[in-house]
Amino acid sequence: MPRSILVLLALVALVLLSVPVPAAAGGGKQVRYVGIHPMPRSEGGGICYIEGPHVHIYDADRIQYRDHRGANYFVGDPVAYGYDGPRYAYKGHHPIHVNVVVGDEDPDDEYCYLSGPHFHYFAPPDGPEFKLAGGAYFYVGEPPRAYVEARPAMMRINAVYQPLVYERPQVTIEAPVGWIGARAEFAAPAVVVAPPSAVIVPPSAGISIEAHVPMPSLHVDVGIGAPAVIVHEAPGVIIEERVRVKHDHGRHRGHYK
Amino acid sequence: MRAALLASLASLASLASVASLASLGACSKDKPAGPREAVLEAWKADKLAPAAPLAPAQVAFAKDCQGGAIVDIDLLLCNFATPAEAKAAEDQGLGWIGAATGASQAHGAALIVLADRKKADPNGRMINRLMKLAPK
Repeated sequence: MPRSILVLLALVALVLLSVPVPAAAGGGKQVRYVGIHPMPRSEGGGICYIEGPHVHIYDADRIQYRDHRGANYFVGDPVAYGYDGPRYAYKGHHPIHVNVVVGDEDPDDEYCYLSGPHFHYFAPPDGPEFKLAGGAYFYVGEPPRAYVEARPAMMRINAVYQPLVYERPQVTIEAPVGWIGARAEFAAPAVVVAPPSAVIVPPSAGISIEAHVPMPSLHVDVGIGAPAVIVHEAPGVIIEERVRVKHDHGRHRGHYK
Repeated sequence: MRAALLASLASLASLASVASLASLGACSKDKPAGPREAVLEAWKADKLAPAAPLAPAQVAFAKDCQGGAIVDIDLLLCNFATPAEAKAAEDQGLGWIGAATGASQAHGAALIVLADRKKADPNGRMINRLMKLAPK
């Protein structure tokens, strides 16, 4: 077998192992969920629209889900997986008041670490911690220590979404003063991402993520809900976040910007 | 004279009680008989009803349950004395679902358990709709 094919197979295996995809729970064991979430391709893919507490017999990954009273709560962007309901645009990291979203009385603040424009199926509660500008919510509050401590690990979620191709919100307005993405004290430490040789460089203060792909390139397409991966041999990918307000006059579709 | 006055007052009072009983009867006609019936009424109002009348169901965690199916989703509907008791039975309702997608939620003093054993609701929209229609 030619060496290049062996390398290709090895890369495919690496990517398959690194993409957090819900797996079947062993022996038909129930797994608890609350709120809408993507379904694995083995279950037909797409979105589960059950908003209240419910169970499935497949597991959730640790990057796109948080624990809420023993149930898995999805903190990612459901539109990336085909969600077609009401949606609200956000830019950058922000808290999610899970108890408000799911309508129970157990206070639980979790954090979304998606760095670019993205959607959720809920708007934030009224108050000073979010500013609505240009149709998107920007977090301008003071994040707690828990946010900062979990950030290096949870930033990996960006490596999951970066290759997903879907219609992201177009946010072209200047970020409001106090936005977390423009505050130097919350610049992330460098994070090494699992897929082959990908390195995330800390944001200087910012919004967009760009993938600089040296030639020959690595091209990874991750299917919705489960990996459908095409990998070309590559020396490495450098993913860089930076502050930049994009002006593409609404034509842009696809990857994080 | 005094006796006649007292007698008329007594008959007026009895007339009033008959009237109030009649009005109570009218009210109870409009109101579902119990928590389970309230859930079924709410679904019916949205043109959703079990395929066949629900049948008594024996489960370990509740004394008054009925089972059946609604839009091909298996259904267990139980009455409890209080909302707190229904809430406390939610976890046990999950056991009834077994190895399937489903939900077990207390709505007032009713416990609604839905199990999609036939995979009739692959994206959960129907389960979500049924749960959201049920009165709190």
